[in-house]
Amino acid sequence: MKHYVQVASEAGESSDRPVWKDADTLDLAYVGYGLLIVTLVLVSYVLGAFKWLPYDPEYIRVDLLNAPPGSAGHLLGTDFLGRDILSRLIVSIQAYFLPGLIAIVISLVLGTGLGTAAAYRGGKVEVLVTYFNNLVDSFPRLVLILLVIAAFKPDIYYIMVVVGVTGVPVCASLVAGKIRFLRQKNFIEAAHVLGLPTHVIVLKHILWHHCTPLLVIQATLGMGEAILIETSLSYLGFGVQEPTPSWGNMVQAGANYFFQGKFWPSTAPALAILSTILGFHLLGDGLNSILEGKRGT
Amino acid sequence: MGAPLLEIENLRTYFYSPGKQAFVRAVDGVTLAIARGETLGVVGESGSGKSVTALSSMGLISAGPGVISGTIAFRGDEGERHLLQGLEDYVTLHERDGRIMEVSKDETGWQAHVERVMAPVRGKGIAMIFQNPRSALNPFVTVGHQITEAIRLHTPTKDPRDAKARALDWLERVKMDSPRLRFDNYPYGLSGGMCQRAMIAMALSSEPSLLIADEPTTGLDATIQSKIVGLLAELKSEYKIATMLISHDIRVISRLADNVAVMYGGTVVEYGPAPDVLAARFNPKHPYTAALLASIPSAQNVRDHGDLSAVEGEVPDAIDVPRGCRFYARCNRVTDDIRNTCARQEPELREVAPGHRVRCWLYGE
Repeated sequence: MKHYVQVASEAGESSDRPVWKDADTLDLAYVGYGLLIVTLVLVSYVLGAFKWLPYDPEYIRVDLLNAPPGSAGHLLGTDFLGRDILSRLIVSIQAYFLPGLIAIVISLVLGTGLGTAAAYRGGKVEVLVTYFNNLVDSFPRLVLILLVIAAFKPDIYYIMVVVGVTGVPVCASLVAGKIRFLRQKNFIEAAHVLGLPTHVIVLKHILWHHCTPLLVIQATLGMGEAILIETSLSYLGFGVQEPTPSWGNMVQAGANYFFQGKFWPSTAPALAILSTILGFHLLGDGLNSILEGKRGT
Repeated sequence: MGAPLLEIENLRTYFYSPGKQAFVRAVDGVTLAIARGETLGVVGESGSGKSVTALSSMGLISAGPGVISGTIAFRGDEGERHLLQGLEDYVTLHERDGRIMEVSKDETGWQAHVERVMAPVRGKGIAMIFQNPRSALNPFVTVGHQITEAIRLHTPTKDPRDAKARALDWLERVKMDSPRLRFDNYPYGLSGGMCQRAMIAMALSSEPSLLIADEPTTGLDATIQSKIVGLLAELKSEYKIATMLISHDIRVISRLADNVAVMYGGTVVEYGPAPDVLAARFNPKHPYTAALLASIPSAQNVRDHGDLSAVEGEVPDAIDVPRGCRFYARCNRVTDDIRNTCARQEPELREVAPGHRVRCWLYGE
C-alpha cells in the first residue's frame, strides 16, 4: 500500500500526506461502506466455516413455519420449513466466497498475463490475444454458463471458472492499456536504458508499482460480479441446490409466500444481495477515483 | 589513445511515414567519434537529429517503422561491439518505380535483437541522462531505491546494505543536499534540479564508459541550469568519463565540450575542437554555426531591449531533402561564385584546419 498511498498527493510538496486527506468525502464514504461489507462477509464466512451459528441452518421446525422476525429467538424469523433465516444467510456466504475468489484469481492472473504479453510483445501475440478477447466477449456470459451446466453438472466451481474466464478480456485490455500508456513514459524508457532486464521492468516497475491498485479495484468489482452470477443462477435453480442455502435459492423459496404477507423469508436474502453487491461495487468505484483518478503521471 | 570509444559511421536513421509514402530522414549520414575521457558536444536546432543520434546509439529506435543503417562501434571494457549489426535483416522494403511504397518490419524480432545486442551495453557501458529528469524517474519508487537497483545490477556490489551506502555516497558526490533524507523521498518530493542530480547519480553509479546526456539542463530554470552544468564540469574533471553532451544551448556546450559537432538537418555541418568551432571570430566556419553564435543573447541585448538575432527561416523538410546544401535556403553568406554549386550539390565535410572540418562550399578548393 505504501507506494500508492503516498503518490496521490503529488500536487503537494509534502510527500507524507496520506491519500485519504485529499480524497472526496463521497468516495471515502463509498470505500467505508464497502470495507464494512467486506468485513461483514469475511466475519460471516469464518462463522459459517466453523459452524458458529445461532441455529443449525438445516434444522427443520414444523411448529415455527414462516415465523416473523424476532419470534422465539429467531432474529430474522424462519422460512417455510421453520429454518432460522439468519443462520442460513450466514452459511450462504460459503456458496459464493471461495468460488468467487477462484473466479477473480482466474480472470486477474490470465488477464494480467495476456494483457502484459499483448502490450509488451506486440506483433502476433497481440493479434492472438485480441482474437481471444473478442471470441470470449462475443459469447453471452449466461448462455455460456448454462452450456457448461448442461454439458457437465450444476456445480458452482464449474460456473465460477466460466465467470473467471469470461472476466479475462476486461482485465487483459485494462492491463494492456495501462502498459501501453506507461511504456511511452520516460521512466520506463529510462529503465531500459539503465539496462534493467525486461522481465524486471514488467514485473516490478510496471505491474507491481503501477497496476496493483488497478488489480485490487478489478478484484472487488469481480467479487460483486461473481455474487450476482451465483445468486441469479441459484434463484433460477441452476446454482446451489436445496437444502444447502444460498441467497439466490432463499429468495426463490421465500417468493412463494411473499404475497401472503410473509415477506421476510425472501426480503432478508434480497437485501443481503443488494447491500453486498452494492458494497463491492462502491468499494471498487471509490478506490478507483481515489487511487486511479488522481494519478497525473 | 588508440581507437575511439564510440565510433558512429555514416549513421542514417529514417522513419517511414505511411501517409506520405516517404522517409523522414531524421539522421542522414552522421559520422562522429568520441575518445575515452572526451566530452563531445552536439549542438543544433530542434529537429536537427541530435537526439535521434543518441537514441540510435542506445538502441531505442524501436517504435514504429524506424530504419537504421551505418555502423556504431562501441569499445567498452568488454571489447568491441557493433551495435547496429544484423538489424537490417528485420526490415523489408517494397519498392515500385524506384520509390519505396511500403516498409514492413518484424518488430518483435527487431526488438528481441536490439535487446540481445544492447543488454550488456546499457547502463554498464553507456548510461544516459535525459531532459525532464522528473519524468525519467519512476514516480512510485523512492529515489534511493532506484539508485540502489542500478548499483546492484551493474556493479559487483550486491549486498543491499553496501549498495545503499554506495548510493548515499553517490548522492553526496552529486551534491544532493541532505542525501539521507532524499534517499527515502519519492521523485515528486524533489525539485527538478534535485531529480537531475539523482539521475546523474544513478547514471554514474553503474560506472559506465560513456555517458550520453540528452539536453540535461533543458526544462530547468536558469540558476539550476548553471549549477547542473557546474556539477557536470566537476564530475568531468574528476572521473574523466567520456560524454556525449547534446544541447541546443551553445553556452552549455562551450563550458563542457572538448570537441563540438554542429548538426543541421540530420547531418554534421561542422566538427572540430570546441575552442575553434565556438570562437566568435575564427574564420573558416560554417555559416550556420556563425548564425547560431550570433543568436546567443548578450547582456547588451537585454539592457537595450534590442531585438534578438535569430537564424532566419526554418529547419529544412526532413522528407523532401533539398538536393544541394541543406542550409542553402537560409544561408546569408552565399556568394555569387558558389551560388550554383550550393543549390545543386551537397558539400562534403572538408578539413579546413587540423581536426576541424566544415561542410560548406565557401571552403571548397
